[in-house]
Amino acid sequence: MGKTLFEKIWESHIVVEKQNNPTLIYIDRHLVHEVTSPQAFDGLRQNNRKVRRPDLTIATMDHNVPTTDRSLPILDQTSSVQIKTLEKNCKDFGIKLFDINSPNQGIVHVIGPQLGITLPGTTIVCGDSHTSTHGAFGALALGIGTSDVEHVLASQTMWLEKPKPFEIRVEGKRKNPHAVTAKDIVLSIIKNIGTSGGTGTVIEYRGEGITDLSMEQRMTICNMSIEAGARAGLIAPDEKTFDYLRNREYTPKNYESLVDSWKDHLKTDSDAKFEKEFILHIDDIAPQVSWGTNPGMTCDVTDSVPSPDEFSNGDPNQKRGAEKALDYMALAPGTLIEDIKIDRVFIGSCTNARLEDLIEASKVIKGQKISPYVKAMVVPGSQMVKKQAEEMGLDKIFIDANFEWREAGCSMCLGMNPDILSPGERCASTSNRNFEGRQGTGGRTHLVSPVMAAAAAIHGHFVDVRKMDLS
Amino acid sequence: MKGNIIKYARDNIDTDVIIPGTYLKIHDYAELATHAMEGLDPDFHSKVKEGDFILSGKNFGCGSSREHAPIALSHSGIKAVLALSFARIFYRNSVDGAFLLPIEIGQDAYDGISEGDEISIDVSTNEIKNITKNQTYKMKPFSELIGKIIAAGGLFKYKPDQD
Repeated sequence: MGKTLFEKIWESHIVVEKQNNPTLIYIDRHLVHEVTSPQAFDGLRQNNRKVRRPDLTIATMDHNVPTTDRSLPILDQTSSVQIKTLEKNCKDFGIKLFDINSPNQGIVHVIGPQLGITLPGTTIVCGDSHTSTHGAFGALALGIGTSDVEHVLASQTMWLEKPKPFEIRVEGKRKNPHAVTAKDIVLSIIKNIGTSGGTGTVIEYRGEGITDLSMEQRMTICNMSIEAGARAGLIAPDEKTFDYLRNREYTPKNYESLVDSWKDHLKTDSDAKFEKEFILHIDDIAPQVSWGTNPGMTCDVTDSVPSPDEFSNGDPNQKRGAEKALDYMALAPGTLIEDIKIDRVFIGSCTNARLEDLIEASKVIKGQKISPYVKAMVVPGSQMVKKQAEEMGLDKIFIDANFEWREAGCSMCLGMNPDILSPGERCASTSNRNFEGRQGTGGRTHLVSPVMAAAAAIHGHFVDVRKMDLS
Repeated sequence: MKGNIIKYARDNIDTDVIIPGTYLKIHDYAELATHAMEGLDPDFHSKVKEGDFILSGKNFGCGSSREHAPIALSHSGIKAVLALSFARIFYRNSVDGAFLLPIEIGQDAYDGISEGDEISIDVSTNEIKNITKNQTYKMKPFSELIGKIIAAGGLFKYKPDQD
């Protein structure tokens, strides 16, 4: 029987495999940031261990860096300590660091691909759940906790149980690909399979609806695999993948011969079997807006807020969950999504802060002003994205519309730096999680695509971007 | 192992409500513990006692990979979380540092156990006893790797050739 792409990558990274035992897997790339690493480095010191492969370990600071003027000191002392601690740890252990003033600084999942550090067929880990992003390049990319970060720093390996392969086929063609985006595809998937629909699996996204996407759009899809509970998301590499990674700063010297080997090997065999399957038809899907407090609580922009009764399904927790979510979100069932007014707009995060995201959002904004009732910001995913956007004049388009144009970082996606919602504020956000308090205590998050967020900023409420000319 | 139950009758308790992002800069675990569950239940810190268990629904610990989540619960005194299912990063993080036991339960235990009930857990027999109500339930056995890490006393003590 043939093998899935996941099984091929898994098998080529086995270090130890014994009957009735977990498997020790070799890790090709380890990405490190300031929040989940300090205790791991402390553990190495306490046990007199070194970093086994500093050459395969790359660090940056993204989670709590300020996104305002970088020439000013960091006011939050605890953030400052965490940032300085990463600097010291990288120096002590010989790890390459893109620090706060580096032109390569940015969200770890944005800089990995754009520097050519993320490669097809590799295993990648990072102490961050959105590591699944790198799966867009056909890499097996896993989010891990701090103990495993320490284990990988010390040994370049990790104990794992083999996840099950899960095929999600995305079929058909979007009628308006500027209005209905990769974000809407992945939110539709999570809406259908649920936030634990992928638990214990590695999802491989396949089909015309996936191969049609650009690399940056594929990253948006794989990024949110974790929101469906999956261990990782994968897309088989193709010419788009190989083109994207060619001539990047860290692209290997023997790149073309690597491409030749990837072409033959890195695909699911036609007779391979998946343990689970789901098909999404995208011909007629609408832009998505989350209404609740997890990413599965999502509906079409043309829908109204659902009633908790629709979720009873014989499971009282589902109904109770919807009731609690509506209470937290201060939404009444039956309210049209397009009638929901917003206070804030956040265009950013590892889900949607790449150059294409900013280009698409700028088309909505160009020549317009945001609603006087809305505060809006763009936080580019990396300093390189910011520079490229500025070279195209996108910063001017956003600033002229009264958006704030910030420095790169995770920012308002998770509320670790000063970029947070105030209690009760409602935000149209291009990030990945609408959990209670995620963007600040009492803050209310609606997950949307960059074009939907941009349109909401202009109108002060959600609008169906399919009605706009975005070509 | 014996303890009393704090029940959250809902699914999808995420690690952002277990320990909100703003506290991930705290390195002192005792201080971190004072903010455990703050996003969901501001009274948690005042009511939790050493040795308590949390009981909840499906997909417990979903979202962020922050190990601070089981650490904050553990340093609050929580020895085990009983849930209908767990998100996998949380499940692993709970045992890597021997912070707490993630116990997968069935619907009978979820429905049968109430807030405040005294429970005993025996992982050698996979049995949960509700001392308050004199009921017994089966827990799902630990997954292979999780069981081995627990038996070793944490990730860094686990060696495959011990088997």
